[in-house]
Amino acid sequence: MSLPKAQVIVYPGSNCDRDALWACKYVGFDAEFVDIHSDVNADLLVLPGGFSYGDYLRVGAVAAREPIAQKIRDFANHGGLVIGICNGFQILVEMGLLDGALLQNSNGRFISKIVELEITDTSTPFTNYYLKGERIRLPIAHGFGRYVKTREVNAVLKYTSDINGSDEFIAGIVNSNKNVFGLMPHPERAMEKLLGSDDGLRVFLSAFNYIKNHGGVRA
Amino acid sequence: MKYLDILETRLGRKATKEEIEAFTVMWSEHCGYSHTKGYIRRLPRVGTGGNAGIVALDDYHFLAFKVESHNHPSAIEPFNGAATGVGGIIRDVLTMGARPTAILDSLHMDRIIDGIIEGISDYGNSIGVPTVGGELRISNYYKHNPLVNVMAVGVGKNEHLIQSRATTPGQVIVIFGGATGRDGIHGASFASEDLTGEKATKLSIQVGDPFAEKLLIEAFLEMVENGLVDGAQDLGAGGVLSATSELVARGNLGAVVHLDRIPLREPDMLPIEILISESQERMAVVTSLKKAQKVLEIARKHLLFGAIVAEVTDNGRYIAKYNDEVVLDVPAKLLEDSPEEEIYDYKPSPMPKFKWIRFKDVDAHDVFERYDYMVGTDTILPPGFGAAVMRVKDSSNSVGYSLSIHSRADIGAQDPYWGAYIAVIESIRKTLSVGATPLAITDGINYPDPDIQPLGLAAQMAGLKDACEYFKVPVASGNASLYNTYKGKGIPPTMIIGMVGKVENLNIHRPKRGPIYAVGFPDFNMERENKLHNEIVNLVKSGNFVLSMHDYSRLSTFNKALSNIGLTVKIDVPRTEPVHQMIIVFGEPKTTLPTRKIGFCF
Amino acid sequence: MQKYTFVIDIQYKSNVRDPRGETIKRVLNDEYSIPVTSLRLGKSIHLEIEAESEEVALELVKKACKELLVNTVTETFEVRKL
Repeated sequence: MSLPKAQVIVYPGSNCDRDALWACKYVGFDAEFVDIHSDVNADLLVLPGGFSYGDYLRVGAVAAREPIAQKIRDFANHGGLVIGICNGFQILVEMGLLDGALLQNSNGRFISKIVELEITDTSTPFTNYYLKGERIRLPIAHGFGRYVKTREVNAVLKYTSDINGSDEFIAGIVNSNKNVFGLMPHPERAMEKLLGSDDGLRVFLSAFNYIKNHGGVRA
Repeated sequence: MKYLDILETRLGRKATKEEIEAFTVMWSEHCGYSHTKGYIRRLPRVGTGGNAGIVALDDYHFLAFKVESHNHPSAIEPFNGAATGVGGIIRDVLTMGARPTAILDSLHMDRIIDGIIEGISDYGNSIGVPTVGGELRISNYYKHNPLVNVMAVGVGKNEHLIQSRATTPGQVIVIFGGATGRDGIHGASFASEDLTGEKATKLSIQVGDPFAEKLLIEAFLEMVENGLVDGAQDLGAGGVLSATSELVARGNLGAVVHLDRIPLREPDMLPIEILISESQERMAVVTSLKKAQKVLEIARKHLLFGAIVAEVTDNGRYIAKYNDEVVLDVPAKLLEDSPEEEIYDYKPSPMPKFKWIRFKDVDAHDVFERYDYMVGTDTILPPGFGAAVMRVKDSSNSVGYSLSIHSRADIGAQDPYWGAYIAVIESIRKTLSVGATPLAITDGINYPDPDIQPLGLAAQMAGLKDACEYFKVPVASGNASLYNTYKGKGIPPTMIIGMVGKVENLNIHRPKRGPIYAVGFPDFNMERENKLHNEIVNLVKSGNFVLSMHDYSRLSTFNKALSNIGLTVKIDVPRTEPVHQMIIVFGEPKTTLPTRKIGFCF
Repeated sequence: MQKYTFVIDIQYKSNVRDPRGETIKRVLNDEYSIPVTSLRLGKSIHLEIEAESEEVALELVKKACKELLVNTVTETFEVRKL
C-alpha cells in the first residue's frame, strides 16, 4: 500500500498551513498543499488554522462556501478522515459537517497560551493513541473559540477549566461517524518537546496508523 | 512649509502647487530624516541601504529586520495607529525577499491603552506572524505621547535577497496590493477651491486590512521565488511618490509614472492625491516588461489589484503624469535630498550616579496572551524569559536567532547619552544570556523637539555610536520619531534598541528546580563589562539558565512565565543601582565573579 | 418611570475606510454574482433604558454612545426608538 496521503487546504488567509504540513510529514504522511479550486485526492484532509478571509464576516463563513466545499463534503460522506484545527473547526461548523457554533471567547479577547485538556473519547481515528481521561497540554490561540452546543455531540476533547466559556468546556468534537474531527487547540504546534509540549503528536500518529491499518478512501 | 525657500532655490523658480505637496511629504521629518541623517551616517553600519537591515545568519540565510514607530497615529486613534504600524514594518522586511517571522513591540504608555494592544494583536495574529516579545513601560512621562515602536524580523534565502532599487532603464514598476484611496491625506493640504464640503475636512486615519496584507505576503514571496522581482519597495509614508522615486533615485535613474493606471477604490481622486496617498498594503516591484505579466497574474491569483504603472528611464527625472497631463517633473534625486539640519558633536561626561525612576511593575502576560506567539512553530523560547529565540526549520544544520527589544528611558531622562549607551549594553547581555552572539542592532529614536533641544539628540546618537563601536555591534537599520511633545512638554529621550543574535545551539537552557544565585556587581564599572560578557557566555556553556534584567524588583512577568511551566521561585531580590552589572543564575554557577545565593526554584 | 427600547446603528464614518465591508462586497460580486455596489459593516445595539420620559431616555442613550459605545473618532451613530 502506498504511503498515507494528506492534503492541507490553503484558504485565502489561512496561516497555520505550513505548520500543519510540517506535522503531517513529521509522522510520515505524503503531504501537499491544495487550494480552493483543487480536487480532493487524499486519505486525510486538513483544514488549518488562521484567518480565512480575515474572519471578516463570521469566522469561517466565506471559506465554508468555496468551490472545494462540495468535494470536502463528498470525501467526508465517503468516510474520509477530516481534521479541522481552529479556523478549520470554524469552517467545518459553518459547512454543517460538525454541529454547534463557535462564538467569541467569553472575555471578548484573543487568548494565546498552553492549556490543559482531557481526552474524553479514545475511540476515534484521531485519539486512539491516547488513554481515556488522559490529561494533555496543547496550545490555543483564538478569539472565537467558545463552543455552543445546539444538540448532543460527541465531545472528544475538553478543557479542564473554563478557558473561553465553551459549553461543558468542549474543545474538540467528532461527527457521528467519528471521521470528521474539529478542535480549537493546535496539535500541530505540540509535536516536539522543544516547543513546550509534544502531546499533539499522537493526533497525527493516530490518524496515520488508522489509515495504514484500515486503508484510506482514496481511489 | 519649512524648506520652501530651499526648494525654490534648488528648482530655480517658484514651486508649483503639486511640487509643494510632493516636497512637503518627501522632505518631512518622517520621510526625509533631516535632523538625524547626519548622525546616522556616523554610526558603524552593516547591511544598510535597503528597506530593512540585512545581516547574514549562516551560509544560506539572511535576516532582515527593522524597528519602526507609529507614535502620532496611535495617539489619535490607538487601534488603527498600532495596527497600521505593524503592517508597515512587516512590509519593510518582506520587501527584502524575506518571510516575516517575528514581531516584537516596545510600548511606552501612561496606562495600558487597550486600543493599542488590540491593534497589534488583531493585525499580527491575522497575518500569522508571531509576536514573540516586547517591553511594556508604564509611566506618566508618556501621558499624551504614547510610543508604539514595532520591530519585525524575517528570514530569507541568500538567492532571494532583493535590492531596494531599479537598475536598468527599460525596467517597469508594478504596484500591487490593495486599491488606492485617500488614506493619509490631510484636507488642509489642498487649495480649498478644489474641494467641497466633506472632502475638505477629511481626517487622515489610516485603517489596516490584515487580510490584504496576508495575501500580499504570500503573493510577493511567490513572485520572489519565481525570480520575477528585480527590485522592490513597499508603499508607506509618501505612497506611490516615495516608493517609486526612491527606487529610481537609488539607481541614479528616472521614471515616468502613470497615475491614471493605479487601481483606485475611491472615485474622482485628484492626480496629486493618487500620488501621495498612504493607502496601506501596497508594494512596488521593479521587473522587466516581460516578467511583469507574470507578476500581475500572481497578484490576481491572490485576490489583489495590480498594474504596471511606471517605466524606468535614464535621464534622472521623476515625471508623474495623469493621462497626458504632467503633474510633477523634478529631478528624482532632489526628492530624496531633503535638507540636512545641523548636527552637533557631543562630549560625554563620565557616568553620573543615577536615581531610580521606576516604571510600574505590570504582569505583561495580560498583554502577551493576546498575541499569538507560536504560529509558525519556530518559537523556541516564549515571551517572559528574556530575549526570544527562533529557529529556522529548513536549515540542514539547525541554526537559530535571538531577538530582543529594550530601552532605558528612565536613564535617558537623566542623561540621554548614557540612556542610549546602557540600552545597547543591556541588549548585548540579554543576547548572550540565551547563548546567542550579537549580530546587529536596529535603533528606534524617539525624541521630543530637536529644534528646542538639539543637544539631547546629539547626546543620544553619540551614546548609540560609542556603544556600538566599543562593543563592535553594528547598526543595520533604524527609525526616527521626533516632535513627541504635547503643549510644549516632551517625552524623555527614549532610544529603543532592537538586537538580533545568532544561535548555534537550539537546546536553550530553561529555568529548572534548584538554587538561584545573584552573580556580578550591584553597581557599574565600564572596565568590568567585557569580563561580565565572557562570564555570561561561560555560564551558558556550562548549562545554567541566565537572566539579565535592568530592574529585578519588577519580576511579575518572569514569575508568571515560570508558573506557566510549573515552577515558582522564592528569592531575596538583589538590590542594585539603576545601572548595574548583575545577573541572576539558576543552578550553581562556576564563575570568578562574586556570587551570592538568593533563593530557590521549585 | 418607564422602559424605552432603542436600536443604535453604528457605522464607520464615510471618510474612514471599511476593509471588511469592501472584502465582503467583492466576495458577493465575484463569487456569488450579486451586483452589490456598496456594503458597509457596522454594529447594531439594542438597548432598553428606564427614564421619566422618552426625551430623557434618548439623551441618556446618546450619552452612553458618546462616552462608551461609539468610537467618536472613527464611528458615527443613529438612534431609533423601537
